[in-house]
Amino acid sequence: MSYQASQNPREDLRERLYIPELLKGLAITTRHFLRNLFRQRDPNTSVMDRTGPNLVTTIQYPEERVAYPEGYRGLHRLVPREDGKARCVACYMCATICPAQCIYIEAGEYDPADGAAESRVIEKYPTAFVIDELRCIVCGLCVDACPKDAIRMDTYAHTPSEYTRQGFVYDIPKLLKGPAVSHRSDPWNKRPGSDEPEHQHLEPHVRIGDGAVQQVKAPEHHAPRTIVSTDQPVPVVKFLK
Amino acid sequence: MRWLTVTTAIGFILASLFGLMAAAYALAAALEEWGWLSNLVILMIVFVMVIATLLTVAERKWSAMMQDRIGPNRARIDLPGLRDRSLGGLPHVASDALKMLFKESFVPKSANRVLFNLGPVLAFAPVFALFAVVPAGPTVRVGGWAVDMVVAQPDFGLLYIFAIASLAVYGTSLAGWSSNNKLALLGGVRASSQMISYEVALGLSLVGMMIAMSTVQLPAMVAGQEKHLWEGTLTLFGGQLRLGVPAWGFILQPLGFVLFFAAAFAETKRAPFDVPEGESEIIGYFVEYSGMKFGMFMISEFVEIVILSGVTTSIFFGGHQVPFFGQALAGSAFATEYPILWGAFSGTVFWVKVLLLCWLQLLIRWTFPRFRYDQIQALGWKMLLPAGLLNVFVSAALVLWDPSLQLLAVLGLLEIGAVVALTATRRHGEAEAHAEAAPAAPSH
Repeated sequence: MSYQASQNPREDLRERLYIPELLKGLAITTRHFLRNLFRQRDPNTSVMDRTGPNLVTTIQYPEERVAYPEGYRGLHRLVPREDGKARCVACYMCATICPAQCIYIEAGEYDPADGAAESRVIEKYPTAFVIDELRCIVCGLCVDACPKDAIRMDTYAHTPSEYTRQGFVYDIPKLLKGPAVSHRSDPWNKRPGSDEPEHQHLEPHVRIGDGAVQQVKAPEHHAPRTIVSTDQPVPVVKFLK
Repeated sequence: MRWLTVTTAIGFILASLFGLMAAAYALAAALEEWGWLSNLVILMIVFVMVIATLLTVAERKWSAMMQDRIGPNRARIDLPGLRDRSLGGLPHVASDALKMLFKESFVPKSANRVLFNLGPVLAFAPVFALFAVVPAGPTVRVGGWAVDMVVAQPDFGLLYIFAIASLAVYGTSLAGWSSNNKLALLGGVRASSQMISYEVALGLSLVGMMIAMSTVQLPAMVAGQEKHLWEGTLTLFGGQLRLGVPAWGFILQPLGFVLFFAAAFAETKRAPFDVPEGESEIIGYFVEYSGMKFGMFMISEFVEIVILSGVTTSIFFGGHQVPFFGQALAGSAFATEYPILWGAFSGTVFWVKVLLLCWLQLLIRWTFPRFRYDQIQALGWKMLLPAGLLNVFVSAALVLWDPSLQLLAVLGLLEIGAVVALTATRRHGEAEAHAEAAPAAPSH
C-alpha cells in the first residue's frame, strides 16, 4: 500500500492542538543543544567522518582546512627538474592555448658553443614566465598542452589573497615550487651511451614523479590523496644559466 | 573534558548568583527602610541588565548549538593566556557594545527629530520598569527588620505589569512613524496591532491565577504557591522530611501558563511572532535607527525576555521556592538562623528558574517557524481569547466548588497528562509513513 499524503495537515488531534507537535520540535532542538553543549567537538576536517555525540559540522576555516579532492585544479606551479631548474623549454604552447591569455613567456637560448649539459639537448629556456592569476580562468588547458610536463596545477591550493593586483602576477620564483619531476625520457637524462633507447616514452598516463610526491592516508571512502606542500618553494638554484 | 568545563561554568554562574543575592540581602538589611533602593540597583540594574546583556551573546551561541554550529568565537582578549581562548564567545559582548557606541547615530533629514529620539527611550523604559514588582527572593527577618527582595509592592501588582507593558507599544509605533519611512511605518503598525490584540489574551490568561490565589500582588502570589496540595512525610536517615506537591501555577493552571506564555511571547515581538521586523520584507520599525539607538531596541528585547521569565517564574513556577521541599526548607533551622544565607539560596533558586525560562524562550525562538500575519491575528483572537475565557470560567467554578484548590490541581494534572500522552504516542499512520519513506508511484 502506498503512503497517502494527506491534503489536510490538521486531521490529527496532536496537530490540531498544536502543543504536542510543538513539544516534539522543542525536544529535537534541546537534544541538539545538549549534545553540542556538553560534548567535545570532533575536529576531524572531513565532516562525513566525524563520530561522537557532538553534532557540530562547522569547520574553523583558516585553522582547519578540508583537503581538496583528488584532481583538484589548484594554483599553477612550474615543475622543477632534479637540479632545481624549471622543466619548461619555453615552447609557448601554454601561452598559445590559454583562452584567458594570462601566460607571458620570454624565451632565452642556451649558448650552443657552451659545452654545458643543457645546450646539448635543449635549445631554449624561459627567462621570464609570468602568470596573471587574476586573469586565469583555471581551465587547465596549459597543463594539457605542455609537452614537457613543465606546468602543473597539482598544488592543492587556491590562489592566496593579496593586497595589490600586482601581487597576483606570479613570476618564476613564485611559480617554481613543489617536488621535482623526472622522466626517463627527458633529454637531459639521456646520456650518450646510455642503455635507455632514445625516444622511448613511458605510456602517457603513468604516474610521473612518484616518490617525490607525498601520499597522504585519506579517510576510508576517499582515495589516497596527493598533497604537495605549498609552504615554501623547493630550493631553486639560480635559474639563469 | 568539555563537560567538565561546562559544569564548572554552570557552577561559577550559580556561585555568582548566590554571592550577589547574599550581597543584595545584606545591603538591603543594612539600609533598613531604604532597602528598596538597593533592591532597585541590584535587582534591576545588576541582575536584569547583566542577564539581558549576556543574553545577546547567549542567543548567538545557544542558537549555534541548536543548529549544529560553533557560534561566535573570534573576538579575543589580547592578553597573555587569554589570546588563544574564545571564552565561550563572551568577548563578543564587549565588541558588540563598542561597535554600537561608536557607530554614527544617524537621524534622517525628514524624520521628526524629537519623536525619533524618543522612540528607543519609550521602547526601553517601560520594559525595564516592569521588574519593579517581581520578587526575587523571600522576605526574611534580619535583626527585627523584614527585608524584602522586591523593589515595590503596590496593591495593584499584576495590573501594574499590564499597564506598563502596554506602554511599550508607544515606543515601537513612534519609532515606526517618526522615521518617515514607509517600511518602518509598516513595521510600527504591525507591531502595534499585534501587541494590542495580544493584550486581551494576556490579561485573560492570568485571571484564573488571580482567582486561585485571590490576589494580584506578585509576592503574595509567590507565597500562595508555597501551600502544599497533597502532603506526605519521608523518613530519611531517621529524620522526618515533609514533602508535598506545591500549589504552583503550572499545576493549577497549565492552560493559563500556555496562554500567558504565548501571549507574552507575542508581546516581546520575537520569533515566531516577529512580523514587525521581517528582515526580508519590511526590515522593521527600526530601519532608520543606527548605533546605540538601535541597540536600545535590541537590548529592550532581551530585557523583555528576562522580565517575562521573571513574571512567569513568580506566577507559575513558585518564584524562589524549591519544588516539593519548599515548606520543609523554609521551616528548617538553617532558614531561621541564617536569614541572609537562606535568602541568598532562595534568590539563587529564583534566578536559576529565570535563566531556564530565558533558555526556553530562545529555544522556542530557534525552533518554530514564523507565523504569517493573519495567522498571528487568528491565533490571538480565535484561539487564545476563547481558550482564556473558558479557562477563567472553569477555574472560577472549580475554585468555588473546592477552595482547597485540589480539584483545580486535578484538572491541571489531567491536562498536563493528556498533553504528555499525546506527545509520547505516535500519530496514527506515522509508523507506516516511516517504513515506506520511499515515494511510491501514484496509483491512478
